[in-house]
Parts: sequence; structure tokens; C-alpha cells
Amino acid sequence: MDFLLHIIIMACLTLFPLLGYNIVFGKGKILHFGQEAQSLMAVYTLWVLVVQFQQPFLLALLASLLTTTMLSLLLAQLSFRLEPDGFGVMSIALHLAVLSIILNWQSVTRGALGIPRIPRGILPSSLERYALVVVLGAIAWYFFLRRLERSSFGRNLVALSEHEWHAESLGISRKKVHTIAFLLAGTGSMISAILFPPYIFLLSPLDYNFQHMIFFVMCAVAGGPGSLRGVTLAIFLIIFLREGLRFMGLPADILGPVQIMSFGLILFVAVCVRRDTLFPKQRTV
Amino acid sequence: MPILSLANIGLTIQGHHILNGVSFDVEEGEVVGLIGPNGSGKTTLFNVLSGFLKPTEGSVTFREDDITHLIPSKRAQLGVGRVFQHFGIFREMTLEDNVRVALEAMPKELRNDMGTMEETVRATLEMATLLSHAKQKAGSLSGGQMRLLEIARTLKSGKELFLLDEPTAGVSPKMTHQVADIIGALKKEKKTVLIIEHDLPFIAQICDRVVVLDVGQVVLSGKPDEVKKSKELQEVYFGADPTT
Repeated sequence: MDFLLHIIIMACLTLFPLLGYNIVFGKGKILHFGQEAQSLMAVYTLWVLVVQFQQPFLLALLASLLTTTMLSLLLAQLSFRLEPDGFGVMSIALHLAVLSIILNWQSVTRGALGIPRIPRGILPSSLERYALVVVLGAIAWYFFLRRLERSSFGRNLVALSEHEWHAESLGISRKKVHTIAFLLAGTGSMISAILFPPYIFLLSPLDYNFQHMIFFVMCAVAGGPGSLRGVTLAIFLIIFLREGLRFMGLPADILGPVQIMSFGLILFVAVCVRRDTLFPKQRTV
Repeated sequence: MPILSLANIGLTIQGHHILNGVSFDVEEGEVVGLIGPNGSGKTTLFNVLSGFLKPTEGSVTFREDDITHLIPSKRAQLGVGRVFQHFGIFREMTLEDNVRVALEAMPKELRNDMGTMEETVRATLEMATLLSHAKQKAGSLSGGQMRLLEIARTLKSGKELFLLDEPTAGVSPKMTHQVADIIGALKKEKKTVLIIEHDLPFIAQICDRVVVLDVGQVVLSGKPDEVKKSKELQEVYFGADPTT
């Protein structure tokens, strides 16, 4: 039962940033690979201030909101100025830069050791109640995004992803719509930053490395880019697979590579199956 | 006062002069045909007028406002509508959503005047004779139906100036009549139309005036009948006057 609850909690905690990421990458078809940079910014600003500097939670939350918003705006600006592939590379570089700062600024972040003893604060201490809070939050986030998807914002985002010029010629502002998309992705990271480290009582930079970004891309592609339902289902299935592999009795030094290989295989199959719908077909004007 | 004024528009890309000193005015309610051989710069000029390309020299004035440096979405909100050569509809969206997305992008003042969203969506699809396909994905339509949808959508979204890039390309003769009817309706509503077309009889039928473009320059302008008979047009299209 505890294992099942653990999987549900992990899936729901992944759902926050990943559904936000799905708005940018899946729905908006923007080659964005910097979601984990947003998560790092949100989670480290929040918990470094709370744990390392003993600041009040609300103040730290405000600071985290501010830095995450700034990074989201920076990513949006870069996406306007760069070609799609250039932005893809730049977003990876930005993620690695943020990660590198965190790993090396040891006096503040404790580097690769991470920050232990993350308090749960007002969050429940029992697994069942924690699961309830996380599930309710995930449901609220899902329906909020579904509502957005069916609003004019969602239609504008799809129109821009299909053909930017055609959408702009109708009066749709690419800057406005894509900035909102990046801010939503940042919001997903913020929610996860509040809930994930207190669950495991640890903030580890390893939970936000590039391998996790690949995991996000894999879930978004496997679930059908832009599909809320599909990506949600993919998150649950893949997390079940990932966590389930731990119980196969594999030695610790084999488990990691097996996980990566199975993710690679899933990504390969998903891209093959969805190669026609992954990105919009280029059409001339 | 002209609704659209192009003054000495020049565009140079990587050392190539694509447009060179293009100047002409379009009066309100006028239907102007823009013709010329392939590669003469017609679509490029439309891209400059819609804001997708910035001219290297000259200016574009719309309703007395200099819009030369405005981004495309701002121009659209001012009332410049574009119908693309290769169908500017969103194939993954339903027909309803294709119309809705255009109506939602209208400035608020115009949206307040248009009645309810659902009524306007319905009226637009009725105009394009596509109401029965409302829930279908637009990608399933024929070329002619896509064209009708695009024109009707642009018309209903409160535009004042319509830039139509080869609206009859890939359209059956029957649909061509429907396109001509819609342009006729635009004319009656005193809307201004600038249209690129290779079909000269079609141009002669619907246009008040024709501007001929060749190698990025205006070489001729006048009433359709005059232009049709002119030696310059023969030279531009056939390389020489076929009667000589």
C-alpha cells in the first residue's frame, strides 16, 4: 500500500512541472529543454532561504516566485530572439549553467550534498495525508490547465504552433502568448518546489539534472505532445515502471543503467510512432 | 486620402534588390489587382505590408498612421487582413475554432460590436457555406473550401484592408465564382482589397485598378482594360509583344 501511495505521490509531484512543460513544449511546440533550470531556480531559492538562512517561509516563497518568474521571462525572451534549434541548445546551456552554479556555490547550496532536513511545515506528516494533499493539488492543476487549454489562450498557442505567420496575421501576439506559456511552466516548477523536497526531506541537485529533463521530454512525447490526458497517463505509467524496477532485485550498479536504457527505448519508440505529429509541418507562405 | 500608401519601398536581402522604389496608393473601397510574373516581388510586397519583412527603405502608411515598423499582430489589430497563398487556416483545429481564434484576436472595441461569439462563428461558417462541417478538422477540407473559410474568417474579423494572395489558386471554377462573389460583397461593404492574381480575366472582372510589378518595380498602373491592352504587360509576361 505504501509503495502504491509513494508512486501516486511521485507521479503527482512530477505532474506539476511536466504539465507546465507540456504547455510550452507539447502545445506550443517550442523546443524548450530548460524546464529543470526553472525548477532549480524555484526550489533552491525557496529552501536555501528557509533552511540555510532561516527566513520565514512566505518571504522565501515570494523570493522564489520572483526568481522563477525572472528566469521564465528570460527564457521567453531568448525564444523570441533565437531560431527554434538555437533556443533548444541555449535552454540546455542555461539549465547546465544554473546547475553548475548550484553545485559549485557550496557555502550556500552545499553543492552535490544537497540540503537535508527540509521541513514539512504545515504539510501533513503521514503518507496517506500527504498523498491526499498532493493528489488534490494535482487534480486542481490538471483542471486549471484544461480550462486554459480550452480558452482563447489555448487556441492562440495552438495557432502559433501550427503557423506563426498565419496566427500573427490574425492579430495574435506571439510574445504575449509564449510569455504566458513560459510563466505557466514556471508555476508548475514552483508548486513542485513547495511539495517535493519536504516529501523526501532532502533537496538534492541530482533530482534536477539533465537526465530528468530527458525524462520530461520522454513523458511529453510518449503521452502525445500537448495532450493533457496522454501526458498524465504517460507520467503514471513511466513512474510506475521506474519505481517498479527498484523491486526487481537488480544490483544497485545495474539498476541505474537499466532505467536509463528503458527510458531511451520508450523515447525511441515514442518518437518513431509520433514522428509525423511531433512538430508542425513546415509550410510556405 | 488613401487608406494605404506605399512610398518608395525598397527591400534588399543579402545584396539582392527584391523590391526597388515601389510607390502607389490605394483608396478606401478600391479593389486593386497586383500582377506580375513569378519572382517579381508580389508576395514579398505583401509580406512587407503585413509586417513580416521590414523594408530597407521607404514607408507604409495605413489610415494616415506610419505602420512601417509595426509588428504583424499590431497591423492586424489596426485592420490589415491577409489571406495567404498556401491557405492560412489551422488544419489541426476545427472549423469553429479556426473562426473563433480570429474573432478573439480582434480589438475589444470591435468585438463588443459584433454580437455574441457563437452567432458570429455561425454566420462566418454560413458565409463560407461550411456550417455543416463546423466540428470537422479544417485539414479535411478541400482547397476551395479552405480558401472560402479563410476569406470569410478574415472578412468577419473586422479588417478594413484585405491582402489576398492568389485567392483562386488551387480552386475549382465553381469555387472561383464563390470567391469572386465574396470579393464583390467586400466591395459593396466599401472594404479595400489588394489582390495578387495570375488569372487576368478574373482580375479584369473584379478590380477597379491594376498595378503591374516586375523585378521589384512598378512598371504599369491603370484600369484593367487599359493594362490588358498595353505593350508593357505583354513584355512583362511574354518577354515581347506577341503581335510584333
